[in-house]
Amino acid sequence: MEEKISLLRKQVIEKMEKVKSATDVENIRVEYLGKKGEVIEILKNLKNVEASKRKEIGEKANKLRVEIEELIETKKAELKEKEYEEKIKNAEKIDLSVPVDDKVGSLHPITIVQRELEDIFSSMGFTVEDGNEVETEYNNFEAVNVPKYHPARDMQDTFWLENGELLKTQTSAAQNKIMLKYGAPLKAIFPGRCFRNEALDASHENTFFQMEGMMIDKDVSISNLIYFMKTLLSEIFKKEVEVRLRPGFFPFVEPGFELDIKCPYCDGAGCKVCKNGSWIELCPCGMIHPNVLKMGGIDPEKYSGFAFGLGLSRLAMMKYNINDLRALNSCDVRILKQMNIK
Amino acid sequence: MYISINWIKDFVNLDGVDIDKLIYKFTMSTAEVEGITKYGQDISGVIVAKILSVENVENSKKLHKLMVDTGKEKLQVICGAPNVKEGAKVVYAQVGSVVQGQKIGQATLAGQISNGMCLSEKELGISDDHSGVIILDDDAKLGEDIKNIIPIDDVVYEVDNKSLTNRPDLWGHYGIAREIAAITKRELKPLDIENLALYNDLEKLSIGVEAQDDEQLCLRFSAMRVENVTKKQASWKMKVRLYYCGMRSINLLADMTNYIMLELGQPMHAYDNRKVSCVEVKTLKKDSEFTTLDSQVRKLDKGTLMIYNDKEPVGIAGVMGGLASEIVDDTTTLFLESANFNAVTIRKTASKLDLRTDAAARYEKTLDPELTELAIARFIKLLKEEDKDIKITSSFSDVYIQKYPHITIKLDKDYIDRSIGKVLPMENIVTTLKNLEFGVKLDGDNLTVDVPSFRATKDVSQKADIIEEIARIYGYDNIEAKTNLWRVSPVAKDPVRELEYSAKELLASKYGMNEVHSYVWYNTELNQELGIKVEDNLKIVNGIVRLDNTLRREMAPTMLYAINKNLKYMPECRVFEIGRTFEYHFDGKEAKEYKVLGLAVASCKDTEKNLAYEVKSMIDSIVKINKNLDVEYKNVNDVKSNWMHPINTFEIDVDNKNLGYISVVHPKIKDAINSKASIVVAELRIDTLGEILKRDISYKEVSKYQTVNFDLSLIVDKDTKYSEIEKVIKDSNMKFLMEYSLVDIYENEEKLAGKKTITIRFTIGSYTDTLTKEQIDTERETVLKALSSNNMVIAE
Repeated sequence: MEEKISLLRKQVIEKMEKVKSATDVENIRVEYLGKKGEVIEILKNLKNVEASKRKEIGEKANKLRVEIEELIETKKAELKEKEYEEKIKNAEKIDLSVPVDDKVGSLHPITIVQRELEDIFSSMGFTVEDGNEVETEYNNFEAVNVPKYHPARDMQDTFWLENGELLKTQTSAAQNKIMLKYGAPLKAIFPGRCFRNEALDASHENTFFQMEGMMIDKDVSISNLIYFMKTLLSEIFKKEVEVRLRPGFFPFVEPGFELDIKCPYCDGAGCKVCKNGSWIELCPCGMIHPNVLKMGGIDPEKYSGFAFGLGLSRLAMMKYNINDLRALNSCDVRILKQMNIK
Repeated sequence: MYISINWIKDFVNLDGVDIDKLIYKFTMSTAEVEGITKYGQDISGVIVAKILSVENVENSKKLHKLMVDTGKEKLQVICGAPNVKEGAKVVYAQVGSVVQGQKIGQATLAGQISNGMCLSEKELGISDDHSGVIILDDDAKLGEDIKNIIPIDDVVYEVDNKSLTNRPDLWGHYGIAREIAAITKRELKPLDIENLALYNDLEKLSIGVEAQDDEQLCLRFSAMRVENVTKKQASWKMKVRLYYCGMRSINLLADMTNYIMLELGQPMHAYDNRKVSCVEVKTLKKDSEFTTLDSQVRKLDKGTLMIYNDKEPVGIAGVMGGLASEIVDDTTTLFLESANFNAVTIRKTASKLDLRTDAAARYEKTLDPELTELAIARFIKLLKEEDKDIKITSSFSDVYIQKYPHITIKLDKDYIDRSIGKVLPMENIVTTLKNLEFGVKLDGDNLTVDVPSFRATKDVSQKADIIEEIARIYGYDNIEAKTNLWRVSPVAKDPVRELEYSAKELLASKYGMNEVHSYVWYNTELNQELGIKVEDNLKIVNGIVRLDNTLRREMAPTMLYAINKNLKYMPECRVFEIGRTFEYHFDGKEAKEYKVLGLAVASCKDTEKNLAYEVKSMIDSIVKINKNLDVEYKNVNDVKSNWMHPINTFEIDVDNKNLGYISVVHPKIKDAINSKASIVVAELRIDTLGEILKRDISYKEVSKYQTVNFDLSLIVDKDTKYSEIEKVIKDSNMKFLMEYSLVDIYENEEKLAGKKTITIRFTIGSYTDTLTKEQIDTERETVLKALSSNNMVIAE
């Protein structure tokens, strides 16, 4: 009997080595450990074994059974592993260099720049306001200190409408309404589309975007304006910028300035953007004219403030290196889709 | 405006001043400089020579052979000018000299050697005259450098006129010199003028000025008569300066008036005294025609302010004189006008006539009426220098109707410091103001500032104006940036703006839409080409030829223009814009303005149905994400625009408000764009949607018990809408319905003529129990019964 057990053991190990599939493993199990399996038969027939050897034979047969069970489990795991290896080997190779439709469109460069600026201003406590595109003559001109027949109207060729209104020539057209709405102190920006009756060329458009801002409080000084503009522009250009103020005439401010920045693209060394002039004329600004404050219901004896205008179209052109202003209103998707979303 | 540094030097000593730096400082303290021209640097070695003999050159009609004497040598010069004559002194560019940057050498003309050349005014760069060579006065010394006779060397800079809009005092060199004196802290020399009081005893000229009731149009009219003017040409100095400053030399008297205008900013007019001797200034009483001195016949409106000689109009006040009374060759007696007119009336007339003369450009800036007298005193002084033999035969005749009020501004040191944000020494402030000819009285820290008349017409009237004077001359560059502790308050977000950005980002990032900016007016040509008919709307009334003058009432046409443009380059195009539309009722009242999302998708590969579904998904997403609301789409039976599809146009309703539409583009217009494409447009009122309140999200528990799904495939009429099936499901009395969703719609003309199959998946369950088989069967029965009684039957 002992010989039989060791023979069986030898058989199982041999067969196990030849196993190719889960079915083969199952067959081995049935053959040896099944209801009528040979190892089981030995265990069933222990009673027929002479008593002195019964215990020993029983132990050996049992040991073999456990051993076979382990062999089966190991084999099964081995086979499973092989199966995965096979699966992986046969898997389809994916070519990620194939172009796919990302379904991503584009935002207009003005939108991107405008939102960036609005975020900066919001973080500085500014309210973002919206103006109309069709405005009254009063809001566009009179309320910002440009009476009828004032020569300053020459600066802005206006599209007049049949009802006596006009297409706003400047975002300043919203100043009066905003002052009357909020009173002082006040911090607001108002971006918007502006219109001028001009012939189109690479640097002239009849439709363009500006962003205007006002800050009104007690004791706001020229020095504060310089600080603010410097901080703001450094934030916009994401680097410390140098600014300078020159006198400039805009009827709604007194004193009025032209603000230049040291070209942030070449640090003043001279490049295409600054036309080798080192400085870029960027932003008209100034201390809000007392008359404009008064018309806006704010007492100029108590409050002062500054206002500034940023050319959004201009900034977008600088940001994306666009050399023709007309591209912005072209509706040409080939151009516009180059703009990413953020 | 051009500024000659030579001219400035008449009034400010600029010895030792670096002119380039000075011009930079002028930009930083006064007004923008647009360019600098350095005259005379390209000319050297040009001298005076005398023509000894003139001979014709054989075989040439034009050329002359000259022998010229330079004082040192006699040389042969070949010259084509018609005015050469023996004995004349000419401007001679010898061999080796430089003219217009070119070195002059020996040349051969018509086989003859020419040693250098005789120059015309144009060649010398002092005028546009190229009709002949310059003939100098007989007393010119042979061999003398021409620069000693004609002041060619000069630096001229151009100031941006726009930046002088509010500075009538800067429209002449003397005013600019005053600025430069203040900037350089040097003395401004007083103007050298004639003492007009010397002539007080002479005859007074007859001047009448009409008085206006509301606003006086002629504020002052001054005149003087000068006889025995015999010289015809102005001096070289005057001619060159005028030319460098952009004016043409005409004759002595015309040049003199222009010279004074460029020096003092005061326009003047010289009349021939034979034509003008008795002036009336009054408005035209009826529309008339008038010939101005440029020989143009002008139509003048009633009310235009005119200068009359007795009853005959002789000039349009402040704009241009008349042809009939201008100075002519034999004029010897001059009637000199120096007047001040209302800025608005001059601006109106000049705009109306499109005649923006130098005089009008100055008058419209509101000139100081005090200037008229100064201008005449200066004119007489300079005329005497130009022509010694003149005789003044009238007193200074003056009608001064309206003076500007004298302006005094009080302010204190603290206000100045607070406004500038820097403490400046009082001494500095006072010096600056005095250099600019403001009067200053000090009382401790209080200043009383007297505004000089030439700044008091509108430019300087209040404290802020004085701050500007102090700060700009001090130099904005010298003011340090300083912060201030401003109160910060939370910023409310505008719901419409939030929605706008959210919608834009969603469309671009989820739906691959491209944002465009179109114009706010319709394109007439494209409307015609594409067959788009638009509603009449508010129009632009001015502009040179403007065909595209109607403002948009709807976004769709401008979106279709974009599709039309882009489909030429690509088989698929998706664009959107959030822009404004305008509504006008032709009642003269203010137009209404809306903020609207316009979008259009076009594809040569996809069906109209799929595009419409996608656009619906866009609208649904925008509304769902921002407002947590559902959208209802209603068929529009009566479409209002011709680009809308008569059957496939759908109104967008949110919260029972009509917010826009989705429409398949009418095949006629679609074919005009691209016959292969499917195109869908939509408009959504962003402003109205933005104002709708967001529905709160309320948490709904998930059932702990198992739910059961079953699908039903229904055969229905082809025209049956999904919403009709939904209604039946909702109205059926299902007790345990948790959800249902569309699985599939199947259409097949062959197998299912006039019908279609719709498969819907139902999810049923309970929050308190697991459903029993009976309960499940009953639910199924209930919905089936409801469906079949509405002709929606189960597919086999």
